[in-house]
Amino acid sequence: MSIGSTTNITQAALRDVPGPLLELTDVRTHFRTPRGLVRAVDGVSFTLERGRSLGIVGESGSGKTILSRSIMGLLPTKGTERSGSIRFAGTEVGNKSRKEMRHIWGKEMAMIFQDPMTSLNPLMRIGDQIAEPLRLHLGMSKADAAATARRLLQDVRIPEPDRRLAQYPHEMSGGMRQRVMIAIAMACGPTALFADEPTTALDVTVQAQILDLLGEQRRERNMSLVLVTHDLGVVAGHTDEIAVMYGGKLVEKAPTKRLFAAMKMPYTEGLLASIPKLEDRSHSRLNVIPGRPPDLVNPPKGCRFAPRCPYASARCNEEEPPLTATQDDPDHSYACWYPVGSPEYHEARARINASAGVN
Amino acid sequence: MAGTGKAHLRNSPDVLLRVEDLTVEFPVGRTGLKVNAVSGISLDVLRGETLGLVGESGCGKSTTGRAIMQLRRPEGGSVVFEGNELTNMSLADMREARTRMQMIFQDPISSLNPRRKVRDIVMEPLTIWKRGSNAERATKVDSLLSEVGIDPDRAAESQPHQFSGGQCQRISIARSLVLDPTLIICDEPVSALDVSVQAQVLNLLEDLKAKHGLTLIFIAHDLAVVKNISDRIAVMYLGKICEVAPSDGLYQQPAHHYTKVLLDSIPVPDPEVAIHKVAIEGEPPSPVLPPAGCRFNPRCPAADDRCRSEEPQLREIGVGHFVACHHPLVGGDAPVSVRSATSA
Amino acid sequence: MTETTEFTDAVTHTPGATIDDQIDARFKRVRRRRVPKFGVLFGATFLIVLLFLTVFADWLPFIRNADTKVRVNGKLMSNYKLGPGWDAWWGTDGNGFDVFARCIYYARYTLWIGISSTAIGLFVGGALGMLAGYFRGKTDRVISVLIDCLLAIPALVLAIMVVRRLDDIKLDFTFLGWMSRLWQIILTLSILAIAPLARIVRAQTMALREREFVLAGRSLGAGNMRILFKEILPNLIPAMVTVAATGLGILIAAEGALAFLGLGLETSWGFMINANRNRLEKAWWATIFPCIMLFLTVLSFNLIGDRLARRFDVREAAV
Repeated sequence: MSIGSTTNITQAALRDVPGPLLELTDVRTHFRTPRGLVRAVDGVSFTLERGRSLGIVGESGSGKTILSRSIMGLLPTKGTERSGSIRFAGTEVGNKSRKEMRHIWGKEMAMIFQDPMTSLNPLMRIGDQIAEPLRLHLGMSKADAAATARRLLQDVRIPEPDRRLAQYPHEMSGGMRQRVMIAIAMACGPTALFADEPTTALDVTVQAQILDLLGEQRRERNMSLVLVTHDLGVVAGHTDEIAVMYGGKLVEKAPTKRLFAAMKMPYTEGLLASIPKLEDRSHSRLNVIPGRPPDLVNPPKGCRFAPRCPYASARCNEEEPPLTATQDDPDHSYACWYPVGSPEYHEARARINASAGVN
Repeated sequence: MAGTGKAHLRNSPDVLLRVEDLTVEFPVGRTGLKVNAVSGISLDVLRGETLGLVGESGCGKSTTGRAIMQLRRPEGGSVVFEGNELTNMSLADMREARTRMQMIFQDPISSLNPRRKVRDIVMEPLTIWKRGSNAERATKVDSLLSEVGIDPDRAAESQPHQFSGGQCQRISIARSLVLDPTLIICDEPVSALDVSVQAQVLNLLEDLKAKHGLTLIFIAHDLAVVKNISDRIAVMYLGKICEVAPSDGLYQQPAHHYTKVLLDSIPVPDPEVAIHKVAIEGEPPSPVLPPAGCRFNPRCPAADDRCRSEEPQLREIGVGHFVACHHPLVGGDAPVSVRSATSA
Repeated sequence: MTETTEFTDAVTHTPGATIDDQIDARFKRVRRRRVPKFGVLFGATFLIVLLFLTVFADWLPFIRNADTKVRVNGKLMSNYKLGPGWDAWWGTDGNGFDVFARCIYYARYTLWIGISSTAIGLFVGGALGMLAGYFRGKTDRVISVLIDCLLAIPALVLAIMVVRRLDDIKLDFTFLGWMSRLWQIILTLSILAIAPLARIVRAQTMALREREFVLAGRSLGAGNMRILFKEILPNLIPAMVTVAATGLGILIAAEGALAFLGLGLETSWGFMINANRNRLEKAWWATIFPCIMLFLTVLSFNLIGDRLARRFDVREAAV
């Protein structure tokens, strides 16, 4: 396989390029619809270093899935307008065609999805599905590919790999299928793994196992991991950095520990408060974010979160806050006029508490 | 984890639903084997109480819900609802009884007929039972829709696919309330929703419960969610009950090893908390050939020979706290009476 | 107190749901709104024009009566005297009839046979399929055996039975006298259509039966009939329409084949093809034009059927 050998070279080359692995500058992905232009991703910039893990968090409709698919080049071309720059290991990938991306998928970037059943071929044995990319991308012989497939199943902690290799997807549980997906994603040793809600369809016990497995694989293979989820709890223990998205924009980004210790965006605060905590007494009322995500055809003027923000004031409805770094930590940036902890925030809180008390 | 035993059943005039030795089996093709989906569980729910049923997929919690509704007739056991035995009721009587108990399903979009208008979907129960005049029906439906946060005018002209998942779940909830039921069985109603929407729906359920005087059975796999909404929780594993306890007691002092695993698996939204390395490997065995003795023994860190041969019975280890385990984490071997005296 | 405001808030800015929904909807809409592919456009135009011509043939000045022989300057144009031209657009046949006029007039029978046998097949097959798919168990087994039997009947043997034998039987059983040749053919084709339609409807019903909205209907106390008609039937209609369109094409082709074999109507494209095929070299028009009409009609129905299948798949996947 001649493609195999040439791509091996590019792969090695990409690995050695210095600088961040992923560099996004003002990425926009808009969809033309009969209702108007849907601004699904609207000017997102960030960088991700090699071997680090990033959690992209937001409600459905925040653009997090579209962003990760934009990076992967997995969006349909028709009706889609893309701009901005996406550099992967120093190479611009934002304007690559699907055909060109094919050389990058699997070997450089791999992706796992929420529902493994839809991404697995129901008529093909698990073993063949893992071996296929190995033979295609790396030009392995049939026997080598089979041996590697077996090893990969062991890596993802699937018991009795020999028996599993001969099974079809429907013979496995959801958790096992997700493990198989991870094995397939790992097959060609990607530099970055995108996991889009990988555990949403799974039981909590299995979710914990899969998250552990992803973290372990990342450390062992020195791979970058992008974990897309709606649950701050999922990313808390499993990522180095967190990017919070709202209405197609990045609204807060910080190292994980820093974010939880000193979150600035009221939206981030609201997401965290929505999670039922075990240590709270039962029937304790959850602090919800009222309302629903904005309409991305006609996003609100000013801060997009303002209509739902309990602390919003006149300025928030008029001027859009830029993404700025905090004074004490350049890695922590947020887009809010009156962030959590500011005097105005405390004032607004006092006002809310007072009115709640009156009622 | 046996859960055979009825020590936890209460003898109160307020018992709205009492399930005893419920057994549901599905044949496996024509092999003569059967899936032991639910193997003799007993439960009771008091009027106005919320009972949480928690466990991994395949533990039989949804099947239990459906068997209580008689949507699938159980193979054995009894279900007494408002003093009436449901299992031997005629189909016509059963239809009537179902108006007093309703069910909300997991997939909010699939549980609404995609080809009908949302308002008609919510009105359907009233049409079936020919309750009230057209105007009365309309008033009732519109007020319920507004109560769950759906604009009735929009509902009149829209189909389910024009609403988001969270809104569809609200519509399902409105539909379940139309006949003024006393009991609502919620089968994973928030599992398919975002955390932010999940919180809204949980609060909504609490409000509606208070306002309409409902009794809830809340089925879910996430203990944190179940704990938030329930008064009492029953933990299920492979068709059996392993622990029954008041919500706060279950969290403070889990007695069953499986309950502990479930608690430890919940992701903590705090990076400073060290992640528990999950103490349990793999997934539950097949319910076609469940393990002998305690059904949890192949995955249990404390399992011994006794667990592999003798099925533990539910016994009281604290006030209202029952566990089916030979070697529970708390309340080891002291007689029940001693401990309940001290804890009371 | 804050809760109520929160929930009314939730619905104030609603048009379309979340972006994910909007984007999903966009893909659906893009596919639906795109200018119809040339195929459907062609199929629909052809069928509409054909329908118009055949229905209003009596009033349209440029269409001769099918049973009026063509005369030019008083001379009978029999024996294929006229080729395609101004006097008779598609020429004349052995008896001097206008081929174009006959093609248009006979479309009535063709379309009527196709539509009514599809309708009967859909009604009976749909009912059987729904009952089998919904009730399963014994009902399903009985109906499935019936369907298998129907599928095992060789089409030609059935046609010969119904068309030939029924002519004889009618002599003894006068109450069957209304059964004209037309109805015999419709009966034959309906019987052939029932089995495949029943199968498709059965499979769809089985899938729908497991959906949660059906379960929800049952838990609301709806009876079986109500669930079948209110919950399941509306969801079957896209599949039924799709299959009906393709089925129509197949049945029209089958009717042509029967007529060609002399088992059909004498007022049929198939019969025209059969009657004139011996003179193909000399008078190609009398054979080729009915062939083209049959071909284009069947093709049109198939193109529309394909399109519908694709469109409804999109919808089903979205649901």
